[in-house]
Amino acid sequence: MISESKLKILTEGAKYDVSCSSSGSKRQNAGGMGNGYAMGCCHTFTPDGRCVSLLKILMSNDCVFNCKYCVNRCDADVPRATATPDELCELVIDFYKRNYIEGLFLSSAVCKTPNYTMERLYLTVKKLRTEYRFHGYVHVKGIPHADMALIRETAKYADRMSYNIELPSERSLKLLAPQKSKESLLLPMRALAEEKLAFKEEKKRGLFLPAGQTTQMIVGASPEPDGQILRLSQSLYRANGLKRVYYSSYMPVVHDSLLPDLPAGQLREHRLYQADWLLRFYGFSAEEIAPEGENLSLEMDPKCAWAVRNMHLFPVEINRAPLEVLLRVPGIGGRSAYKITEARRYTALTFDDLKKMRVVLKRAKHFITCGGKFFGAKNQYAVRGLLAAGERSANAEQLSLFSDRANAIAALTGEL
Amino acid sequence: MIYLYDGTKEGFFTAFVLAYGDGKARLCSKQAQLALGEEAVSVSTNPARAEKAERRFLQFDRSCISDLNKMLRSGDCDRDDTAFGYFRLLAAFKRPVRQMLARREALAADECIRRVNTEIHRMHGFIRFLECESGALYAPCSPDNDIIDLLVPHFRGRFPEFPFLIHDVTRKKAAVYDGKNTFLAPLDRAEIILSADEERWQSLWKEYYKDVNIPERERLKQMRGYMPARYWKFMPELHR
Repeated sequence: MISESKLKILTEGAKYDVSCSSSGSKRQNAGGMGNGYAMGCCHTFTPDGRCVSLLKILMSNDCVFNCKYCVNRCDADVPRATATPDELCELVIDFYKRNYIEGLFLSSAVCKTPNYTMERLYLTVKKLRTEYRFHGYVHVKGIPHADMALIRETAKYADRMSYNIELPSERSLKLLAPQKSKESLLLPMRALAEEKLAFKEEKKRGLFLPAGQTTQMIVGASPEPDGQILRLSQSLYRANGLKRVYYSSYMPVVHDSLLPDLPAGQLREHRLYQADWLLRFYGFSAEEIAPEGENLSLEMDPKCAWAVRNMHLFPVEINRAPLEVLLRVPGIGGRSAYKITEARRYTALTFDDLKKMRVVLKRAKHFITCGGKFFGAKNQYAVRGLLAAGERSANAEQLSLFSDRANAIAALTGEL
Repeated sequence: MIYLYDGTKEGFFTAFVLAYGDGKARLCSKQAQLALGEEAVSVSTNPARAEKAERRFLQFDRSCISDLNKMLRSGDCDRDDTAFGYFRLLAAFKRPVRQMLARREALAADECIRRVNTEIHRMHGFIRFLECESGALYAPCSPDNDIIDLLVPHFRGRFPEFPFLIHDVTRKKAAVYDGKNTFLAPLDRAEIILSADEERWQSLWKEYYKDVNIPERERLKQMRGYMPARYWKFMPELHR
């Protein structure tokens, strides 16, 4: 059994990785324990609001690389630990059995050499699948500069693999993560995508990365604007067939003259995810969402911002607009659009019907008509103001005499 | 008039046939609090009549019975009225009404079924097994809806070699998988002898839960939104 102190070190090294999804794999149980759950499953939520689905852990945090932003970089003075394959397999099996986790997300610092590290990861995953007969979800991180043969072998046992492109441009990568290069990240990604395609075409038996690949980049550690980041994501989705791109807003865990001292805002990360959803599920392109050199508006969500820029396309008639147009109305998401298209087959919908169906109309009312009637603001300047004001008041707080801690104490003790 | 029935599918259809003509009818399967001047009749289940009604409804909509089964499992206090309204609508239109979401009754049924399905999905994640000395797994829980038997196929699929028992402590029953068969049984209290390592794995899990959190980014409201506090009781990581 792994010791608590080792678990602590290896978990804290892995916790800044964003990806934790367990969806996309339908791996069957073939004796032993576990299976895939295509929808994905969250097993608990931590106080930071993130879900715990996979056991997110490093095999080792003993790194030879020196990426400036990383807690585990080689010149950092932190306790180091390395887990053995058996310790990790045991941990996965016993956590899984108690339904604590949906599977394993195994990553590692570059220990000794990239090939040595990748081989250890490969051995762990292979052992877990064959000796421990585990068929639950396994996500393995690819190590840059490792041999492609090793990566391919690992992919045979994993449900998902990922290479973190870390920073949105080659220049920033050179500056902040000097040992990683664009090629060392993008080439294996492409090779795995091609391999998967070939595997599918040849209709081979077994599975090859059923849940595909993902990647992650840090936002706010380097100067790239959102427009550029979204174009990169779009090309990754289109050209490399990635399932997800994760964004992690920069947290200063390390002080360095090359890095900003302040964390990047959570709101910026949130806006990027909203834009990412528009790319993947709402039929938007990166060019529509943000100009290349600009950031997303913090004032309103990207769909609202797009709609306000394109007021000539609105309002749309709720009873006639096709699904892809409904999806472009601010405030109407996939579920609401579905409800509308189903319900209007039986009756013409009025504004009150939409309310009853719990379609959120706060933003949508400025962009739709119901049976020709319009309930939004009179002109587009008013719309812009109202949408931005709505967003502001959500973050605002009503102050009272006792909001201030000193006053509250004074009131309790009777001084006030 | 309030029609009291036993909460089963057959009972529901018997009561439906009686109540259908009554414009102010309400259905109820639990202890009802009667309003002043309100009358109640208790309906005794008539299987033949129920089957006839069921067959008629199946002609209108082939999947209406699975909708009913979900609604009757709901813990909502007005679930019987929701189901009654839904089947009334079905009887009026004589074709599937599931997607007429602008109708109050169809929307209420849709939301009721959605809540049951959501909880099933949640429980797939939030159930916590304790390992017993014999190697069997035991999970106490108290879901809002009566769903423990619907959880079994999921866990049976992933632990085919482990017998397990999911115990609904409020409804006092258990869904059991003995390594071969699954069945439901009434169960008031369970006496459990934990395996030697259970406590150590639990404390490792608590340690992991603590370490994977980023304390600088506390968002408790979001956490509670995804995982309402009523589920915490049986999750070791949330106990101090």
